[in-house]
Amino acid sequence: MRRIAGNRAVRRVASTLGTLFGVAVFVFVMLRAIPGNQITAGLGTEAAALTPAQKQALEQYYGLDQPLVTQFFAWLGNMVTGNFGYSARSQQSVLDLTLHALPVTFELAVFSIVLALLVGVPLGMLSASRANAPRDAIGQVVSLAGLSIPAFLLATTLLSIFAASFGFNPNGQGFATLVEDPLLNLQQMFLPALVLGFGIAAPILRTTRTAVLEVRSHDFVRTARAKGVPERRLQVRHVLGNALVPIVTMTGLQFGYLLGGAVVVEQIFSVPGIGRQVLLGIQQKEYAVVQSTVLVIALAFVVVNLLTDALYRIIDPRVRAS
Amino acid sequence: MPRGALSAVGIAAALSIALTSCSSPSAPAAGGDAPAKGLVVGVTSDPDTLFPWKATQFQAVNVLQNLYGTLTEFDKDLNVVPGLAQSWEASKDGEKLTLKLRQGVTFADGSTFDSKDVKASLERLMDEKTAAVARASLASVKSVEAPDANTVVLELTGPDAALPANLATVNMAMLSSDDTEQELTTTPNGTGPFRLGKRVASQSLTLARNDTYWGPEKPQVPTVEFRVIPDESSIVSAMQSGNVQLAVFDDPLVAQTAESGGTITVAKTPQLNYHVLQLNGRHGELKDVNVRLAIQCAIDRKQVLDTAALGEGEVTGPITAPAYRSDPSKRPCPTRDLAKAAGYLAKAGKSGGVTVKTIVSQGEYATSVNEAQNLKAQLAEAKINLELEVLESGAFVDRWVAADFDAAVALNGGRPDPDGSYGRYFTSDGNLNKVAGYSSPELDKLFAEGKATTDQAARKPIYDQVAAHLEDNAAWIWLFAGYTYTATTANVQGFVPMASGSLQYLRTTSVS
Amino acid sequence: MTALLRRSPAGLAGGAILVLLAAVAVLSYAGLLPYDPIAQHPPSRFRAPSGEHLFGTDQFGRDVFSRAAAGVGNSAFVAVVAVAFATVVGTLGGLVSGFYRGVADGAIGGVTNVLFAFPPLLLALSLASVLDRNRFTIAVAIAIVYVPIFIRVTRGPVLSLREIEYVKAAVSTGLSRWQIMLRHVLPNITSIVVVQVALSLSWAVLTEASLSFLGLGTPPPAPSLGSMIYEARSLVFIAPWTLIAPGAVVVLLVVGLNLLGDGLRDTLDPRNRGKR
Repeated sequence: MRRIAGNRAVRRVASTLGTLFGVAVFVFVMLRAIPGNQITAGLGTEAAALTPAQKQALEQYYGLDQPLVTQFFAWLGNMVTGNFGYSARSQQSVLDLTLHALPVTFELAVFSIVLALLVGVPLGMLSASRANAPRDAIGQVVSLAGLSIPAFLLATTLLSIFAASFGFNPNGQGFATLVEDPLLNLQQMFLPALVLGFGIAAPILRTTRTAVLEVRSHDFVRTARAKGVPERRLQVRHVLGNALVPIVTMTGLQFGYLLGGAVVVEQIFSVPGIGRQVLLGIQQKEYAVVQSTVLVIALAFVVVNLLTDALYRIIDPRVRAS
Repeated sequence: MPRGALSAVGIAAALSIALTSCSSPSAPAAGGDAPAKGLVVGVTSDPDTLFPWKATQFQAVNVLQNLYGTLTEFDKDLNVVPGLAQSWEASKDGEKLTLKLRQGVTFADGSTFDSKDVKASLERLMDEKTAAVARASLASVKSVEAPDANTVVLELTGPDAALPANLATVNMAMLSSDDTEQELTTTPNGTGPFRLGKRVASQSLTLARNDTYWGPEKPQVPTVEFRVIPDESSIVSAMQSGNVQLAVFDDPLVAQTAESGGTITVAKTPQLNYHVLQLNGRHGELKDVNVRLAIQCAIDRKQVLDTAALGEGEVTGPITAPAYRSDPSKRPCPTRDLAKAAGYLAKAGKSGGVTVKTIVSQGEYATSVNEAQNLKAQLAEAKINLELEVLESGAFVDRWVAADFDAAVALNGGRPDPDGSYGRYFTSDGNLNKVAGYSSPELDKLFAEGKATTDQAARKPIYDQVAAHLEDNAAWIWLFAGYTYTATTANVQGFVPMASGSLQYLRTTSVS
Repeated sequence: MTALLRRSPAGLAGGAILVLLAAVAVLSYAGLLPYDPIAQHPPSRFRAPSGEHLFGTDQFGRDVFSRAAAGVGNSAFVAVVAVAFATVVGTLGGLVSGFYRGVADGAIGGVTNVLFAFPPLLLALSLASVLDRNRFTIAVAIAIVYVPIFIRVTRGPVLSLREIEYVKAAVSTGLSRWQIMLRHVLPNITSIVVVQVALSLSWAVLTEASLSFLGLGTPPPAPSLGSMIYEARSLVFIAPWTLIAPGAVVVLLVVGLNLLGDGLRDTLDPRNRGKR
């Protein structure tokens, strides 16, 4: 028994490493397929004025004169030893940058997901409790709004309304981390989390509704009800309990997505998260920054996946039973 | 193309849905010093380098200008005035320029500035291995001598009237001879009015007043924080809520939004930068001057300005520097003339029409795609088909640098000196001539003459001829020049906006 | 369709919206719009909505209604192609992955994980800069983002279904794996796939809009709803209709797709059939 568990763990680790390697190759190739490099990104059209000797000096400076394979393995090897590379733009190691940006995005993602679950799950259950009734319509309207309103539109509108009507614009001040100034930090997180949470609430709501409807059509619910299980207990323990798998899948999916996908909102609200770090890296063609950061995001994804899978085992009665 | 255009970088620009907002001012986060108030400047991006010789990004130049000193400087009207060099004098034959240095100037690290530093700086600037962006401006310098601590003598190949102006850019900043590039990228060490304080990458960069600054007036504010707010509209919000006191915009619509709240003052300064349809006269159909002239005559520039930039700007000829400005009404077809355009096409034997492959960058500056769309629509009426290729900025730069286009919609950087603006493009050995796609012996002669003439009154007619030659041959199609918008809150005094978009007058700015 | 009509008024409403938008899009393809969506007419810039220009005109004097109509056609094309591709590839991947497990699962999971772990923005940016940009390549770029979602959403339930008695029973009757998958497993994940298709169609419309909005979508001057919003974003104070019209059309299109998706689900899902 232990050996099987051990084997599974080994396989998991192997596949995780495989994924990360795949991401590494992919991001490396992608970046170099995009036209331009750090020299042209830094100098813009002034790059045309460089003499060949100047160009060569710059290529050497940025390490662009090395063969691609050498560049790739040098970078990967450094990553393994904890050297994520150096950002010439910010004069900081990528590791330092990441250690500052990742917790910010993580915090934002957690708040957004919590908001989304608080809205999505109860409304989804409410919707499903009587499909096509007025209460369903409430859920439908909320989810439609969440799905149909682009985040950038909602973000800019909210920012302007809150700033104009309530004088509330904490994001105009310098960013404070949760440790430095918890109160200001929470204020600064509020609007971005609201925007992201609203968008994610919609798929969670819909998934909840669908899953609950599906579970309720199963025989065991009818059996339980016939046996006289109280309605509330039936809804929470039997129906929601069995509907959890798709809800957890969707939540995990959205959480993972948030780690790399909050760029637009981070941008509008000046939140110095990991998404902006990648974006800046792409704009400046700072290969080390983009590669290492994407790999870190990928690692976070993989961890979220593992946790989601682990959760299946705990919550899915069928997988649990086997 | 100026990196200044990048202040509305990519997605930030794309996202700037205009906002209005206003609020009771919340206390700006002062960096610990309570009594005198610091100034907070809103910027969309932090500097991409702190090494002045390689900085071309607008934000980097703005920061570095306040940290470093140059031998000469520009005043608010873009006249060349003394900087670290108190005076300079050219020899009779123009082959020698003697600079007298200011005494008692110190670097941020406390060491004294003298001729040794100037000699070392200039020699390193001229060394190709340094890859300094302003190297070509020193092409006429043969050698640098430092006969005593306060004197520097430049041996020139010949008279160079543009040299004093060229020395004024921060890309020619004077560095201490002891410093290396590696050290300076983390720890700037200059003679400017401010010193580097605290830096949080991608978030903020704070300058502290240099109390030993040589200038007649010490800086007013104890600190200047450049706070990164990537979205221009969010900067407006932050100004309206009192968190940011100064910002520079180049999108007229953002400026309009900022002004509409009533709490922000916006000053409009005509830019040196010009919007242009660059033609590549060595490529395809455009080799024929008649085809280029047909394009010249088929465009109503006012319409481009009105549709693409809402009329915010002036139709312009090649030279935008105030002292040498070209008169756009003197060009061939000062107003649109489709009959003449058809005539030129017929002369070129292309009455059936021509196709011009045109590259356009998206996201680099606000109006590029709109200009391209209007140019396409206008030229279509003259049977000239602009085939637009809208490119992400990296791809655009690659194609531009390789001169791989028939035409390019561009926003190019103008300079206070016309030789600095166009010598590098339109002299046959200019380092951007390949991209400019045009040169002629007449132009070479005119540029040489302009360089050799030091008297400004005598130089003006020479550059008028340069402008006329460029437009008579439709080397490029000059369109218009826009404005720089400097937004300040009511409690900011003493800032002077400049046509170059420079923030050098942060040193006279105060916050009440 | 009649079943849909009886069963789901919301679905019907969604269908009606889409039919309306489709009719407008067809008009644009047939060249029957009131104005040429590309031709500029500077003298009539920034006209407010009126009988002459239903949605007003933009800064080039182009008719916003005609442009929005042509934009719907563009957006719909991109969304449908992208989702069709993602559905087929993704569902197949999820089925194989969840049912076969083992090596297939590992391989598909590996590719999925790699794609998933990649920030979509970088993917879009890269593809848009690398590929020759046209409607089809944009659809493919969007599809690549959505394939792993289909795989993930179907794989979990397939894993669960595999353990269910009747599937095990089917295995023991000697049916081939593909037959079991198609006959017994696929129908049971249909509702999940259909919901996902509906969600994805609307997402794809929004993604195409966002891509154009970021300057990576359909190249100008061809109209797309996203690029119209992009061009109008800063005109909101001068000519709000240039922003409101395409914005409203995007929302309408997405709402219609969602409503129709819900209706379809209610109708198609075998467990809903015959009830109520």
